[in-house]
Amino acid sequence: MLYQIFALTVKELKVLLRDREALILLFAMPLFFIFVMSWALQGVYEAGTKERPIKIALVNNDRGRRAAAVILDLDGMEGLHLIDSAEGRPLTIEKVQADLKKGLFPAALHFQENFSEAVGNTAPDSSGKEAPAILLADPGVNRQLLRSIQDTVQGVIRYHVLTARLGPMPQAPGLKGSYAGHAWLEVRLVSDFEHQRKPTATEQHIPAYTIFGVYFIVLTLASGLLREKHEGTFRRILTAPMTKSTLLVGKLIPYYIINLVQIGLMFLVGWVFYGVKLGNPVALSLVSLALAASANGLGLLVSAVGRTEAQVNGLSVLLAVTLGALGGMMVPSFIMPDGLRLLSRVTPHAWALAGYHDVMIRGRSILEILPECGVLAGFAVLFFAVALWRFRFD
Amino acid sequence: MESAAISIRNLSKEYPGTHAVRGIDLEVFQGEFFGLLGPNGAGKTTTISILTGLTEPTSGSVLINGRSITSSPIEVKSALGFVPQEFAFYHALSAMDNLRFFGRLYGLKGPRLEARIRDALEIASLKDKARKVVGEFSNGMKRRLNIAIGLLHEPRLLILDEPTVGVDAHNRHALYTTLETLNTHGMTVLLTTHRMEEAQRLCHRVAIMDQGRIITTDTPAALIRRYGEGLVRAEFRAPVGKSLEERMKSLESVQALEGRDRQWTLTTLEPEKTVRALMALKETADVGVRSLNILEPNLESVFIHLTGRRIENRTQI
Repeated sequence: MLYQIFALTVKELKVLLRDREALILLFAMPLFFIFVMSWALQGVYEAGTKERPIKIALVNNDRGRRAAAVILDLDGMEGLHLIDSAEGRPLTIEKVQADLKKGLFPAALHFQENFSEAVGNTAPDSSGKEAPAILLADPGVNRQLLRSIQDTVQGVIRYHVLTARLGPMPQAPGLKGSYAGHAWLEVRLVSDFEHQRKPTATEQHIPAYTIFGVYFIVLTLASGLLREKHEGTFRRILTAPMTKSTLLVGKLIPYYIINLVQIGLMFLVGWVFYGVKLGNPVALSLVSLALAASANGLGLLVSAVGRTEAQVNGLSVLLAVTLGALGGMMVPSFIMPDGLRLLSRVTPHAWALAGYHDVMIRGRSILEILPECGVLAGFAVLFFAVALWRFRFD
Repeated sequence: MESAAISIRNLSKEYPGTHAVRGIDLEVFQGEFFGLLGPNGAGKTTTISILTGLTEPTSGSVLINGRSITSSPIEVKSALGFVPQEFAFYHALSAMDNLRFFGRLYGLKGPRLEARIRDALEIASLKDKARKVVGEFSNGMKRRLNIAIGLLHEPRLLILDEPTVGVDAHNRHALYTTLETLNTHGMTVLLTTHRMEEAQRLCHRVAIMDQGRIITTDTPAALIRRYGEGLVRAEFRAPVGKSLEERMKSLESVQALEGRDRQWTLTTLEPEKTVRALMALKETADVGVRSLNILEPNLESVFIHLTGRRIENRTQI
């Protein structure tokens, strides 16, 4: 029995070792993950540290001096870096809102004109007045991160409120404390929705999970084509009176439909079970159509490049997971290191995620999401073009 | 003169490191049953691939029913049926679903499609198995379905690549009958095979192919008459001495003599004449003959004569 096991093992290893490309993929995959994920997650673990402070835009319109004191304390903190100017000019609230939309900052702090007055006012009056400090944020920002920024800023403001109201206390040097009970800091999300709303974690994550899942069509499509070639049905179909492009279109359409059903189902589940708001349905559909096209294009490309089942499987999984990681499915792109963030823009995943977030949590219009759809369509065209160039029909 | 169903002129196909087809000329007439014989690696499958549009030739021309396969592939393929050597259908689907799919590829639809499916199932003797998943079929049934798919659209020309590989004798003869019937009704058939008896039974003419070249083309009977060598195997009752050996060698119809002790093989174009001459020898009567086996000249011996080699024999089930 042992000898037979030995014979089977040797045979299996010989077969595997003959497929060099598959072996490269098998070993390259975990190595890739180590490099990519370590690089990407660097941002997560180091975000908010001295080495990688979180950059927050700052607009100080305070008439008094208390905002400046708060800013001094915040700036002195490891892990936060306040930026109050761009190209030599102080930031304005309009510029900051535009930069937030572009994803240049995760958040911005705006001290209103009455900040010093509100902080020093001993008669707290919270009847309907706007908070004296506003924390503006992109709706797509990770909620835990936003929470931690909010808590940090709020803590410093409360301390300054305490010292402002109690006055100097030389008998208690280094006094720590806070003055709560009033909304000194308001969090406001920058979106185009008519009514301010905070996206849920599910609304932030469902698009990412959907995109991740869609790209697994690459494996199904590529291995299906390969199986047809190996079983001879592909060859037989080619002897029928039709063009090669007819054959490919007929092969791809079912996978495209499956992708769209996948996307529809994911969002349906999100809507029914988690109350996810889907935004403009036409805009959502446009992003979905372009996303599915790019996934199918990549599937055809893998089928053109992979010659064996092991190669196709390895390449499909490697691409699905690596592109997903690079594209911000697992780690928000804004906390990635700069180089990696740039690289993420070369993935269709990043553009699809931006498109979905724009529709679902930023309330962007159809016109505003067309650039993302255009890029996704461009990826589809590129994948198809290379695939057709490399595809072997015989 | 009959018009050509297939006309091949100076056809060549090269792959990196190998010359699969080397400048062949071939003509198959309308209504003919034509065989392309040769061992594995002779270039038969490559030639078929070019005829069916699966691969492009390196040089030369191929006309099918007067049309070029390279410049008019759609028109050519519409009238062409192909039965590949491997089982090329979907094992997860039923026979009917397979036939429906392939029929639609040829533009069949509606009642005509359903009628053709019924006819194809009838020809393949699979009527009662139409809804069964093909993965559960026996090899013989799969082979018949494979052929039925090629016949769905009533092609003018049917090309079969080793259609009886792995088929038992009973099913093989059933397939031969089917193909003969189709040919009788006007279908041109081109068959590649390495089975000599298949070519001899079915083909009006055969071309013998080896190492990318066509060595000769003619009717099986003419080829056998010209090149075929029969064998007479004799087992004597006692060891054959020098004088009988010399007498056997000198018989007019004997081309070669092999053997030792009691077992001898005489190569001849005229086995019956050789046997009569052998039995008439005094030395034969002295020694006595225990048994005689005659192997008539056939295409196998034609091939051996022309190439000096045997065609490989595949295991017959």
